[in-house]
Amino acid sequence: MSTDQTQPAAVGDLPGRRRLAVVTVGVVFWTWLSLRWAYHNTILDAVATALGFPDLIRSETAVLAREPWLPTAPFANAAETLTAVGADLGPLGLLAEWLAWPFELTAFAIEGGPAMAAGAFITVYLTLASMVLGLAIAVPLSVARVYGGRIVGTVSLAYTELIRGTPLLAQLFLLYYGLPLAAEIEGVGFVGEGAVPRAAVFVAIVGFTINSSAYQAEYIRGALQSVDSGQLVAARSIGLSKAAGIRHVVLPQGLRYAIPGWTNEFVYLIKYSSLAAFITVPELFRQARIIAADSFRVTDTYVVVAVLYLALVLTTALAMDRLEAAVAIPGLGPADER
Amino acid sequence: MSLLRLEDVEKSYGHEEVLHGVGFEMDTQDVEVIVGPSGSGKSTLLRCVNRLTEIDGGSIFLDGEDIHAMDENDLRRRVGMVFQDFNLFAHRTAVGNVTLGLTEVLDLPSAEAYDRAMEYLDRVGLAEQADSYPAELSGGQKQRVGIARSLAMDPELILFDEPTSALDPELIGEVLGVMNDLADEGMTMLCVTHEMGFARSAATTLTFLDDGQIVERGPPEQLFDDPEHDRTREFLGDLTEIH
Repeated sequence: MSTDQTQPAAVGDLPGRRRLAVVTVGVVFWTWLSLRWAYHNTILDAVATALGFPDLIRSETAVLAREPWLPTAPFANAAETLTAVGADLGPLGLLAEWLAWPFELTAFAIEGGPAMAAGAFITVYLTLASMVLGLAIAVPLSVARVYGGRIVGTVSLAYTELIRGTPLLAQLFLLYYGLPLAAEIEGVGFVGEGAVPRAAVFVAIVGFTINSSAYQAEYIRGALQSVDSGQLVAARSIGLSKAAGIRHVVLPQGLRYAIPGWTNEFVYLIKYSSLAAFITVPELFRQARIIAADSFRVTDTYVVVAVLYLALVLTTALAMDRLEAAVAIPGLGPADER
Repeated sequence: MSLLRLEDVEKSYGHEEVLHGVGFEMDTQDVEVIVGPSGSGKSTLLRCVNRLTEIDGGSIFLDGEDIHAMDENDLRRRVGMVFQDFNLFAHRTAVGNVTLGLTEVLDLPSAEAYDRAMEYLDRVGLAEQADSYPAELSGGQKQRVGIARSLAMDPELILFDEPTSALDPELIGEVLGVMNDLADEGMTMLCVTHEMGFARSAATTLTFLDDGQIVERGPPEQLFDDPEHDRTREFLGDLTEIH
């Protein structure tokens, strides 16, 4: 139960003002991200051009050439002034330089913002697609594990352990460089054209889906096993088949129990989707590497990137808490003492 | 022809023999109460009848048909069960608990299933709690929903597995009331229970099971007042004192 007296167990449990702060940051962040996406979207550009506004949407601008919406000059000037003042202060100058850093960082973040937004957007749909597709695999996997009997259960276990037991990066490299998967996908006509991403993105989705399905299956397996065995017995006693009992009685309860664990996997995937950078997917982390290499400002780059990942993770956690509350049933799950 | 006939039923769990050679017959509208000490095989016997547990020897016939030749889901549609710890579907409301079997097993359209479920909830006095989740109901209310869930499937026989054993004393009455009504209406019931008042007033036959065997079986007044075996007298005497 979430009251102001108890320790918050999740972002959604934070007391009013602090949660409002998280929500506000989330809204600003997502508004910026969506507007950035829309501003450079090919389809929206075509629509706007057709409607007589050819300059409204800039889909043709290369990612690194995109203009920020906020001016960098005020922040850069402030930083310069502080540094200049610091130069006259002798030993105290260090303090002024420290004060200058947030301004420098802000100017830098504004400048790198458009490219980072493009990357963050790919991170978002990479993660979302992989979570959803992974779930579609994880549910049958976990059901097979718990109810499948020896052979099916062992197959499911073998899959899970193989995937969990090998490095994700090795899996991605195998898929991208080892198998002809990327070439096959590239061969499909519309891939890489217009708003459709390049083959590497699809390979990454395949890789993350497979990887995430194994982890999700483990969370869901645990949740299914925590459903009281009498529930399935009761379902069977009114004439439901085992499969129908699992579908109508065990899964609706088990999947609710799985939400906190599933959120954990979601949050992990947001961050480990950064490995897609190593198979050339231009997601957030890859954009960061490019910016860092161009600017030589490694610390600044990764501080900004870390903040962006943090914004993604916090808003996801908040959304999942909302989901959990929305599907909560009295007496079911961790919200109430069972 | 009898509705339910057990012949020489055998069941063991590993090396432990739970039932050896249990046999009896029940007619339609009979209320059979089985009593016996803990571990005597009462619950196992019930679970054999709807094949939640498979027997190792002997046979069981429902309406003349060998239940092991039947599809187990068909069998369970015809034989309802009420559990000691209710086993209500925790994620469904009271009415949702009753409708699941109607829509998924009997394939009723959902509106019809709802009406029928409400009818049965009304019959056990819970129409007003239709939208409550199990966690929001008292033990007695949960068990009455359990009975409605079983009853709504229109079974030929209902198995009651210690339906009042998990209830606080003050809640037992409402469940026994519903069971008494069912008996009066002519429902065929096979009950494992220690409620001796119910056995006396509602049972057509009382069976004393001990160590996986039927020790004595007959009309309740005979077993209570003039049992053949000392073991029966002792056991029923103890039970009557407690209940």
